[in-house]
Amino acid sequence: MTFRTRLLLIFTVAVMASVGMVEWLAIDATRQSFELMEARRVDALVAQFRKEFARRAANIVHAVEGIAASDAAFNIANAPDPSAYYNDAASMASARGLTLLELVAGDGAIVSSAEWPARFGYKEDWLAQRSDWQSAGAFLKREELADGTTLALVAVATATAGDRKLYVVGGQQLDADFLSTLVLPEGMRVLLYRALQPRFAQEQLLGPGPRGDQLASFIERVEKQQAEATRTIGAETFHALPLKGYGDNLLGVLLIGSSRRELLALEHAQRSYGLAVAGAGILIGIVMSAWATARVTRPVRLLAESAGKVAAGNWDTTVEMASGDEVGQLAQAFNRMTHELVEQRERLVQTERVAAWRELARRLAHELKNPLFPLQITVENMQRARERYPEQFDEVFREGSHTLLAELANLKQIIARFSDFAKMPAPQMQPVDFNALVTDTMRLFEAQFAQARVTPKIELDARLRPIEVDPEQMTRALRNLVVNAIDAMPEGGALTVRTLALGAGVRLEVSDTGRGLAAEECARLFTPYYTTKTHGTGLGLAIVQSVVSDHKGRIAVESEPGRGATFRIDLG
Amino acid sequence: MGAHAATRPHYGGTLRVEMREAIESADPPQTGPGMASLNGAFAITRWEAGRSASYSAEEDAAGGRPFLDAVEIEMGRSLRDQATDLDLGKTDVVELGFNEAHRLATARRTWLSAPVRVVALVFGPRVDDTRVREALALAVNRAAIRNVLLQGQGEVSGALLPQWLSGYAFLFDATADVARARALAAATPPAARSFTLGVEDATLRPVADRIALNARDAGLAVSVTAPGAVSAPAADVRLVEVRISSRDGWQALAGVAAALGLPAPARADTPEALYAAERALLEGFRVAPLFHLPDVYGAGPRVKGGGGITPAGEWRFENLWLEGRRP
Repeated sequence: MTFRTRLLLIFTVAVMASVGMVEWLAIDATRQSFELMEARRVDALVAQFRKEFARRAANIVHAVEGIAASDAAFNIANAPDPSAYYNDAASMASARGLTLLELVAGDGAIVSSAEWPARFGYKEDWLAQRSDWQSAGAFLKREELADGTTLALVAVATATAGDRKLYVVGGQQLDADFLSTLVLPEGMRVLLYRALQPRFAQEQLLGPGPRGDQLASFIERVEKQQAEATRTIGAETFHALPLKGYGDNLLGVLLIGSSRRELLALEHAQRSYGLAVAGAGILIGIVMSAWATARVTRPVRLLAESAGKVAAGNWDTTVEMASGDEVGQLAQAFNRMTHELVEQRERLVQTERVAAWRELARRLAHELKNPLFPLQITVENMQRARERYPEQFDEVFREGSHTLLAELANLKQIIARFSDFAKMPAPQMQPVDFNALVTDTMRLFEAQFAQARVTPKIELDARLRPIEVDPEQMTRALRNLVVNAIDAMPEGGALTVRTLALGAGVRLEVSDTGRGLAAEECARLFTPYYTTKTHGTGLGLAIVQSVVSDHKGRIAVESEPGRGATFRIDLG
Repeated sequence: MGAHAATRPHYGGTLRVEMREAIESADPPQTGPGMASLNGAFAITRWEAGRSASYSAEEDAAGGRPFLDAVEIEMGRSLRDQATDLDLGKTDVVELGFNEAHRLATARRTWLSAPVRVVALVFGPRVDDTRVREALALAVNRAAIRNVLLQGQGEVSGALLPQWLSGYAFLFDATADVARARALAAATPPAARSFTLGVEDATLRPVADRIALNARDAGLAVSVTAPGAVSAPAADVRLVEVRISSRDGWQALAGVAAALGLPAPARADTPEALYAAERALLEGFRVAPLFHLPDVYGAGPRVKGGGGITPAGEWRFENLWLEGRRP
């Protein structure tokens, strides 16, 4: 990630965090205010419902007691056969504003039923369970009707005629009409669930507006816990008021729904404004980051570019910067550094060049001195034989000339090696079976292995696929490594050549069990003309490195004194 | 006119009669109880089918001239309207519903015939399970209905013909047995336990509602279709009322069977044969008789004389006279 991107991110995050924090605080405060207001509204509505409920209850009690105190009720109670009155309940209920009215004889048999006239004669045994119904007031009761069950607010009163008794059970259904009489503030609604069945029944949920599965589960929970509860469902908050009957059993649930649409709309507006402000903040961040880039990151980018050029080898790169701040000072330091780097490199090249010439001269002197000494001895022998032993001169001459020719050939070979190194050709790449190349090369050394008491060992990776190399150069490199290994084991030993598949490439390892190399020897091992041997030119490993380098490969050596050495070449 | 004179018959006056039935035939009826019974003592002078009719006294009637000069009949009046008109003095003779009959009976101004109408449940082809039909017949608490809804009128019965006519009606069990009804219903498929009950006469609607309630106790789901509703004729079960048209047992049975859609009974000249014929008709519970009801009329205070109807429900207005002026 670039510095510029980071800067942009920092600006953006900072702006968004600030806006988000303000937004959250505003929404939270709004929500708390709304919830407080809503709680008050719900409390008011619950109080209103309770008041309305109490008023209805009082009206019902009054109506039922009025009926019980009427002459008509007395006559029915007093009648030996009340069957003539089976139709009277309806007119009595209508006159008193009741939707439910049952006149029940002292034995519990219904004399007349307004809500279900056909039920005359059926028993209402629960009435006999209590004697002082007047003190019970009005209570919720599950009422059976011809077309189903309903929930009602009822009261019981008794009329007596001598020793005869007549129960008057009257009330009103808790239905949609009842709900419609409740005065509600805007945005609120009341639903009544009549718990008339063991399981939730959608048709028992009365009241306006939508109802869904979540509302059903909420009602079921209230039924189970039989306690007031509050839950937010969608855009509404519902307060549930359990309605219990005479036996303290739950018969209904009153749901007071308060719309949260205003709150949601406000939150939506706040969120929109917040997003707009955040968007503006991001734009400002981009502009500010662009400005900051112009002021801060451009010098840094120039420095980075210049450093890249230096890394690429262009050491005389400089940064043009006029500012005098920290970045400007950094640019000046950079320029000084590159200037010194160039000077040091030139000095180093010169030094290395001198060192190389010296090394070359030393090596040449060393290499040439060896054959020159036999030449000198031979010529001196020949001169001495001519002066002192003319009769043996021919013999000496023949042997001497043979020696001279041999040494001259040696000199020629030395010169040829130097020449070869000087003119390493570009590799001619072609697909090569590397395992076969190793096997063929090793076969050339069989005689030498035997003579040097070296045990060769070849470990080839059968997975190896043909690889693009110059077979001649690679053979030459391998031969140099093998010769090197044989030379490192003057007392004999084991030589292991190993191939290993590396994806599409190959790893070649040549290990010996010779005397090993010190760390400093390892460091200089691939320097031209450096050798640890008494008879080497120091060009062998340099040639190997040159070949590997021309093949875009890598060469490394692992060695410790007394533990042999392993040369590792990775290609491809 | 003093109170003493009021006890003696005298000629004159027009008797106003209201009836529930609206006879739509082109000519006034010539047979059967009711209006046709006037023939002989009275002669038709005006006929408006379905609305009204006027009869005038026959001067040469076989039994002598009736005391009344004329009889005016208004048809298609509901029982409630008839009762109101009687209370207001707008009419002299009305048919009475069960409640009104009870109320007026205390004033001794009612004419009661023998039970001449049979009320029964008639099962349609959809209720093809005999167990369901028997279950409903057993579930109905006839006694409670008679005592309360019918205000003690008529007779509870499991027979088509009333006791006074056949003499053996008591042999047909009419007792409710809810436990057996429940057992029978429980043995039937659930789909068979649900059906509709059509009632063609509004006055029988409370009876139908009570039957539905009794059926529920037996595990049957019966829904009552309103009188006059389009669905009523297609109801699975119908609550019908059929008039006994003859005092001859076999003819009466044949008439009832025909009215209820039952096959014609075998000719029966003895009570035993008649009983067997009726038993055969009721086999399989295609029809479940419930009650035998009388004709009940209420007479206004102006109407004097003996009972205006015979035990068979025939009008006998020739012996009536009117007292006082019309209010």
